[in-house]
Amino acid sequence: MIQALAFYLFASITVIAGMMVISAKNPVHSVLWLILAFFNAAGLFVLLGAEFLAMILVIVYVGAVAVLFLFVVMMLDINFEELRKGFYTYLPFGLLVGAVLLGELAIVGLGWVTSDHAASLSRMPAPANVTNTQALGQILYTKYVYVFQASGLILLTAMIGAIVLTHRTRGGVRKQNIGEQNMRQPSDATALVHVQSGEGL
Amino acid sequence: MIQTIVFLPLLAAIIAGLFGRALGVRFSQLITTGAVGIAALLSWIIFTQFLSGTTPYTVTISNWITSGSLSLNWALKVDTLTAVMLVVVNSVSSLVHLYSIGYMSEDPHQQRFFSYLSLFTFAMLMLVTADNLVQMFFGWEGVGLASYLLIGFWYYKPSANAAALKAFVVNRVGDFGYSLGIFAIFLVFGSVQFSVIFANAPHMAGKSFEFLGLHVDIMTAICLLLFVGAMGKSAQLGLHTWLPDAMEGPTPVSALIHAATMVTAGVFMLARCSPLFEQAPAALDVVCVVGALTAFFAATVGTSQTDIKRVIAYSTCSQLGYMFFALGVGAYGAAIFHLFTHAFFKALLFLGAGSVIHAMHHEQDMRHYGALRKSIPITFITMLIGTIAITGVPPFAGFYSKDTILEAAFMAHSQVGYFAYGLGAIAATLTSFYSWRLMFLTFFGEARWATSKHIQHAVHDDHHGHDAHDGTAGYHPHESPWVMLIPLILLAIGAAAAGFVFHTHFVGEARAEFWRAAIHPTKHDVLNDIEGIPLFWKWLPTAGMVFGLLMALNSYIWNRAVPKQFTDTFSMMYKFFLNKWYFDELYSVLFIKPALWLGRLFWSADKNIIDGVGPDGVAALVQLTAKRSKLIQTGYVYHYAFATLIGVIALLSWAWPHAGKAIGN
Amino acid sequence: MESFGQNIFLVHPEITLAVGAMLLLMIGVFRGDGALKLLSWIAVAVYGVAAVFVTILPADRLTAFNDLFVTDGTARFLKLVIYTASAISSVIAIAYLQRRNINRFEYPILIMLATTGMSMMVSANDLITLYVSLELQSLALYVLASIHRDNAKSTEAGLKYFVLGALSSGLLLYGCSLVYGFAGTTNFEGLRTVLHATLEQPPVIGVLFGMIFVIVGIAFKISAVPFHMWTPDVYEGSPTPVTAFLASAPKVAAMGLMLRVLFDAFGGLSEQWRQIIMILSALSMGLGAVAALGQTDIKRLLAYSSIGHIGYALIGVAVGNHESISAVLIYLVIYMFTTLASFLCVLAMQRNGDQIEDMSELGGLAVRQPKLALAFTLILFSLAGVPPLMGFWAKFYIFKSAIEFGGLPMTLLAVWGVLTSVIATAYYLRIIKIMWFDKSSQDFDKPDYLVNDVLLTATTLFVSPLGWIFLGPLQAAAMLAARALIGSA
Repeated sequence: MIQALAFYLFASITVIAGMMVISAKNPVHSVLWLILAFFNAAGLFVLLGAEFLAMILVIVYVGAVAVLFLFVVMMLDINFEELRKGFYTYLPFGLLVGAVLLGELAIVGLGWVTSDHAASLSRMPAPANVTNTQALGQILYTKYVYVFQASGLILLTAMIGAIVLTHRTRGGVRKQNIGEQNMRQPSDATALVHVQSGEGL
Repeated sequence: MIQTIVFLPLLAAIIAGLFGRALGVRFSQLITTGAVGIAALLSWIIFTQFLSGTTPYTVTISNWITSGSLSLNWALKVDTLTAVMLVVVNSVSSLVHLYSIGYMSEDPHQQRFFSYLSLFTFAMLMLVTADNLVQMFFGWEGVGLASYLLIGFWYYKPSANAAALKAFVVNRVGDFGYSLGIFAIFLVFGSVQFSVIFANAPHMAGKSFEFLGLHVDIMTAICLLLFVGAMGKSAQLGLHTWLPDAMEGPTPVSALIHAATMVTAGVFMLARCSPLFEQAPAALDVVCVVGALTAFFAATVGTSQTDIKRVIAYSTCSQLGYMFFALGVGAYGAAIFHLFTHAFFKALLFLGAGSVIHAMHHEQDMRHYGALRKSIPITFITMLIGTIAITGVPPFAGFYSKDTILEAAFMAHSQVGYFAYGLGAIAATLTSFYSWRLMFLTFFGEARWATSKHIQHAVHDDHHGHDAHDGTAGYHPHESPWVMLIPLILLAIGAAAAGFVFHTHFVGEARAEFWRAAIHPTKHDVLNDIEGIPLFWKWLPTAGMVFGLLMALNSYIWNRAVPKQFTDTFSMMYKFFLNKWYFDELYSVLFIKPALWLGRLFWSADKNIIDGVGPDGVAALVQLTAKRSKLIQTGYVYHYAFATLIGVIALLSWAWPHAGKAIGN
Repeated sequence: MESFGQNIFLVHPEITLAVGAMLLLMIGVFRGDGALKLLSWIAVAVYGVAAVFVTILPADRLTAFNDLFVTDGTARFLKLVIYTASAISSVIAIAYLQRRNINRFEYPILIMLATTGMSMMVSANDLITLYVSLELQSLALYVLASIHRDNAKSTEAGLKYFVLGALSSGLLLYGCSLVYGFAGTTNFEGLRTVLHATLEQPPVIGVLFGMIFVIVGIAFKISAVPFHMWTPDVYEGSPTPVTAFLASAPKVAAMGLMLRVLFDAFGGLSEQWRQIIMILSALSMGLGAVAALGQTDIKRLLAYSSIGHIGYALIGVAVGNHESISAVLIYLVIYMFTTLASFLCVLAMQRNGDQIEDMSELGGLAVRQPKLALAFTLILFSLAGVPPLMGFWAKFYIFKSAIEFGGLPMTLLAVWGVLTSVIATAYYLRIIKIMWFDKSSQDFDKPDYLVNDVLLTATTLFVSPLGWIFLGPLQAAAMLAARALIGSA
């Protein structure tokens, strides 16, 4: 009972928050709505017994991604009203198309019947007596190690890409060069000058 | 040796054609003339070998086509028939090459001309040495191409272009028949190899196939199809219209292609295929009738023409008719013999005419000639020999060959044979008449040059100045250079002696050893019987010839009012002859106008309906779509995303009915 | 369960590429951007080593890593093609990048990472592998497209590609989840078992929809109409060597992935997807032919041309028998070489150091640089499918397989293909006409990159009738590959 209540609560807030993300006029509000949606989705995971995923969602998406979004949105001076100009001209047609897609997907949802063979094919039966964190870890580093490594490559690519596209060596910046500092000899900076008395430099 | 004969002219043609500009006129002349000259010498060697009885042989060059059950070789078949043709082709060709050096000396495109001549010679050699029907067809089309190129050599003359086109198109009709014949032969015999076909021909005799409910004899059908091809190439009645027009080409071309060699290809082909024709008597009868009609028809037209080359052209047509009816009565040897002698005297006449035209500053109308025998004596004498030969005065060449043909026709003792003999005898009379008419108009009487525009031009250009009131307009014709006269003299010797020297081999006692298997021995060899011809019928054509000569003498020397009276009295007949029996007009009404009308109809339908809906419409539609699709490509990401989504939805909606009910399994 | 050692052995080519990329990265970091040339050539060596590993792999169908990875004849064939294209793409860029001061040493590294992704794509045996490898490839491509970061067009191209690519990835993932939800497995073999079991009755709508989403996701990568919208903009905006790469290797890899998904995973639904593929094919051929007519930019035009070519290849996919799949593979190889050759020509066409991209500026090329004009003419004729050239044989085998397959729809598709080829010929001829008959007073730069010239000569010779000598071995190899793919279904 409580579970059902909690599910409907989380689910409805997620959906509403999702809609607010795209309809909010202020982009900062949009990001805040997004964070709300993430939290509720995490709640749904908890209900499913997937605490690990719930935590990951909060830590990664709310803690890192959404905050980054917030920074970007606040730093960029984008006039979202301008971008939204065409919104109403395309709205009717867009709604129509969306409705058709929704209708078709609803039919799919209504016809939810898993295949008879599905159970027998399920390769990863949830292991008993283990926390789902442990279970995830077990298959991630054994059965799915191939994909896991590939994901690592994706991250590497993303990193290279980010550097390629954004990193610039700017001129006129004085950077601390520790190696240079350590290599400095007294003779580099000072000179011993023998001053004759009565003369000056 | 045979390879050298066949491919030397090709080599020369390629060199002169591709590098002629770089190598110069003189070099092109020498290499082509030299190549064909060597080929001619070698041909005579081969010919003498066959005179002394060498066995026929075949030289395979390489495999040519292999497709399914069709397998062909490039092979050169050498037997007596080929040897005769080699001699004819190469001798005349080499002399024409030589002659052309003089005749074409002022033309700016001589390299091209000589290249074409040698190319033609190669194609003709390919034709006569063919060992199968397809290779022969290759040569057949090759000579057609060379003929087209040479008729239209002066391509800036519209009439030359039209004539070239006409020759090409009319020949297509014949070639269509020929190719159908080849298809039929392959269908029936499963091969196009002569040796295979001939060996199997007797088994096919009398067999028939059904076509549109009719029972058609296979061999007759095949032979008639082949004959249609021969009719086109050899200008037989019905498909002859191109030959007189082909005289638009340079005169050496007329001598080589349209008198001595290419036009006789049809005769050669029929002789080569004699084993087939022997199995199709009905087809032979058709050949005989068509040949006789052509001989007669062309002779009548020849009497009325005024252009010197056209007269000789119709004469050629007529002589080809003789050859065909000789084939039709089964006297293959006689037909080839006439081909052989005719090559000499007809080439001689043409080259002589060329010499006259050369002397008369390109005037071709005999009405503006006259009294030329003193100005150009050597041309006159050689042409006189040619005329004597063609009219059949013993012992010149024409007498032996033509009279043998007429005797064979008579002694065939068949209705078509008598028919051919009758028309042939009349044609012989007419031949004599128009040949002498040509001679008298050209070389005798008084000079009528002043009326010629060409001569007026020449005189005007030369500023001869002094008045002449004798019809010469002050013009002095000059004898042609020796390079042109030597071929005339050599041909004159051939025209005089060829019949006497070779008749025993071709049609006389030695013919069996001479021909051997090259010409199918007929079941009933008419040449055996010609000894027994009654004297009256034997000498009747000769009498006709004398009569023709007298008529010509009367009309053009003694009493020059006669032709005028004659044409006035029989104006209908004269007009009929003058207009070549109205064949061109008939074809114009029957074929050309309907074809043009149909063409215009299709053209307008094509333009308005097919183009409108088809190419033009499609092009317009395509351009419209191109513009539209450019509009869609706005550059906005959300438009693109939207298009993607619409695509997804369209596919989903389309797939939906294909899915099962929600409850699957 | 396979031993770990065998697993590693089977993915040796991919490991080589991944490690190679990291090695290059290390060298690059220490040597700086000046190392571009060195890195590119090392990259070629790495592709060579990887190719050697591919050739020594067993010919049989073998799976690794808990059925996530599969190697068979098809995968080996496609990997070799992809490595070749990647190697060529690496070296042809050097001069271009150096001249424009965008000689980032990351260029060959990104190509190698993308190639790793592609290599994994054609060996995918699970929806998860499919997705991950596709993302690996795509991410590298997004970066490559915008590598000329100071150029507005290049960054715009990269951004567009990225946003639309993300959309398509989303669709793909959605499809994967639908399929998983309804079939209960992400493994291709598992899917085949499930779908085969339901073959007697129409498929469950969820699986069908899922499959369509997956097809759409891949169709985006091969830029089949109507999921092609990004193609002209990205091709035009990206630096030319990147465009050359985008048009060659990733197309081959995505086509390979399409084959894998359709035959390995959804083999049981062939009746359903055949019609979808036919629709995509017809639309692609039509748009590829028509839309290019109005273009003035060579790269845009080649973009539409590549859309059209994918349409032709899709005919073979739709037919789906041994002959047609081998025809598709032959098509891909010939297409890959022809496309690279065409972009090599575009790279060589420069004036005052700038790339010529407007078609009308090509006037007089035949007079000033006859060799280049001749090569480009040959290549364009090959793209158009004019008989003695290789492009003709590519199309010929495809159409032949379609005609032999029979049936009205397939015959109509083949006829439509021929018709659109004819229309497409018009725009290829337009370029040829400009090159040979239009006059221009301006001169062109002399081609001065030896490597590019050598490669252009080699690819042009392959495209020319001389390529026939390769046609026999190519056919044999493609047939083996096709048997590996369909024999297993």
